[in-house]
Amino acid sequence: MEEVLRSLGLFKPEIALTAGLLLVVIVDSIGGAWRNGAVRILSIATLAVALGYAVELQVAGAQGAIFSGMLTVDPLGSFFKIILVLASLLIITAFTFRAARELHGLGQGEFHALILALTLSNLLLAGANDIVMLYLALEMVSITSYVMVAYLKGDRMSNEASLKYLLFGAVSTGGMLYGLSLLYGLTGTTSLPGIREVLATGVPGPQLALYLATLLIVVGFGFKIAAVPFHFWCPDVYQGAATPVTALLSVAPKAAGFGIAVRFFFGTFAVPVTGTWDLSGVIDWQLLLVVISVATMTLGNVAALTQNNMKRLLAYSSIAHAGYILMGIVALSDVGARSLLIYLFAYLFMNLGAFLVVTLVHLHDGTFDLRDYPGLYRRAPLLTLAMGLFMLSLIGIPPLVGFLGKLYVFGAVVNMGSGYYWYAAVGAVNAAIAGFYYLRVLKVMFIDAGNEDKPPLKLAFVDRAWLLFFAAANLLPVLFWSRIDEWARGAVVLYTGR
Amino acid sequence: MIGLSHYLIVSAALLSLGILGLLTRRNAVNVLMSIELILNSANVNLVAFSRFGAGNLDGQVFAVFVIVVAAAEVAVALAIVLTMYRLRRTPNLDDADILRG
Repeated sequence: MEEVLRSLGLFKPEIALTAGLLLVVIVDSIGGAWRNGAVRILSIATLAVALGYAVELQVAGAQGAIFSGMLTVDPLGSFFKIILVLASLLIITAFTFRAARELHGLGQGEFHALILALTLSNLLLAGANDIVMLYLALEMVSITSYVMVAYLKGDRMSNEASLKYLLFGAVSTGGMLYGLSLLYGLTGTTSLPGIREVLATGVPGPQLALYLATLLIVVGFGFKIAAVPFHFWCPDVYQGAATPVTALLSVAPKAAGFGIAVRFFFGTFAVPVTGTWDLSGVIDWQLLLVVISVATMTLGNVAALTQNNMKRLLAYSSIAHAGYILMGIVALSDVGARSLLIYLFAYLFMNLGAFLVVTLVHLHDGTFDLRDYPGLYRRAPLLTLAMGLFMLSLIGIPPLVGFLGKLYVFGAVVNMGSGYYWYAAVGAVNAAIAGFYYLRVLKVMFIDAGNEDKPPLKLAFVDRAWLLFFAAANLLPVLFWSRIDEWARGAVVLYTGR
Repeated sequence: MIGLSHYLIVSAALLSLGILGLLTRRNAVNVLMSIELILNSANVNLVAFSRFGAGNLDGQVFAVFVIVVAAAEVAVALAIVLTMYRLRRTPNLDDADILRG
């Protein structure tokens, strides 16, 4: 009983989200004309409360395994929870039904309920401490995302996107499940710290089985974070889904995937010693992750060069960013974990900002095609300037947050010693390739002639305010960077007990 | 005497059949059945390891959860496939090809 009460105390963000989710469903089914507004306010309130609880856990530095070791609470997990809840909150507040043309006329209740469910499952994934919970949370994230992608009923692109997402997802999580079952067979336990204890005393059973299990589990994580070669669904899904859904999918499940990957690789296959992390067992998955990371950033950036659909372009760009973020996992140190947190934090603001611009252009012009973007500077200066800021941030130009994120991940890799300098160099070359297509977007918007006959965009006041908000979020963090650095530094504490 | 290795062989065979079905079948419903085979191969593994190796019930509990998740996943998958059929009048996955590039 005491255990349950203690667990519930550390489970507040998830409890808030569950309660809010149920309330949204009920209000939506009984409500009259007022229900859309009520559902929206309820969702925002729920996410705000969950955010408050997550911050509270982080500030208190709460640690411990809860619900008989199924989930774990630690500062690292709390940091991820803050990012995840913040992402959903920004999506619901900035990407409204009014601003997203694709969603006009569709039900708001289900949409908000799905976002809350996705947030809840992301939180569970970021805190999973047992392979049963890991699998359940991963599948819950996946299934909610399939439904969200298919939200545009009767739209063939949305339907096809969700079908592809579902088939890729089902296969990769199925493969991962097979790997998890092998891991259970080898170690005799489903708890992640328990698995670490067994592996620390040497690999039981045939070595090959452990390699196979690790490889299959990497497939599952790779799918969630859209790493090459498990990225094929990504551009299609991003293009087919409604833009707010795309924006959410590009940040939240990715962040949760990185959260569980850190927990799994750092906490299960490695033991944190002060500063560095000792690899227990004999698996050289570091090399595997280096290969995946290099392939991911290179393919993402090269494929993005030829895209004309903005959503596809941002999809490939998000694949490339997953490659950079993987650098933080490869580094396998406190510095690496910190750089990963900071990069995700930066990525949240620059990517959502870019998607907001894409949404607003679609609202007014009804196009996602880059070839329809010329002349936007004349028609909507504020929007274009904001987009310029987001693109420069995505390239990694100082002093924007994107630069700080890249600085940290490259720094973490360089810290590993001269054997990894080439890896950092590959990252830098990739950043240069990425600069080409991001700047191409800017060139089209600022310089290219066209659309002279079209009137200026009449942006609503809130949309202008949100553009300014995201611009500020990209521009200002550098001013109080020491605080953010300290915050991330303090967050790299992984609870590794049972 | 039937032992652990017999179960592992069955599960490996199920996994291979599932992957084979995924790669060769073009009908969406057949592909979903192949996915079920993959999930159930892992279930056989879990229950066999629980009975013969680990000496605890964790694996069997895990298997029950997997069955529940598989049902939920197929419910969503069938809904999506039905929508596809309504929109295109075909369950053939090769016809879903408007998103590319």
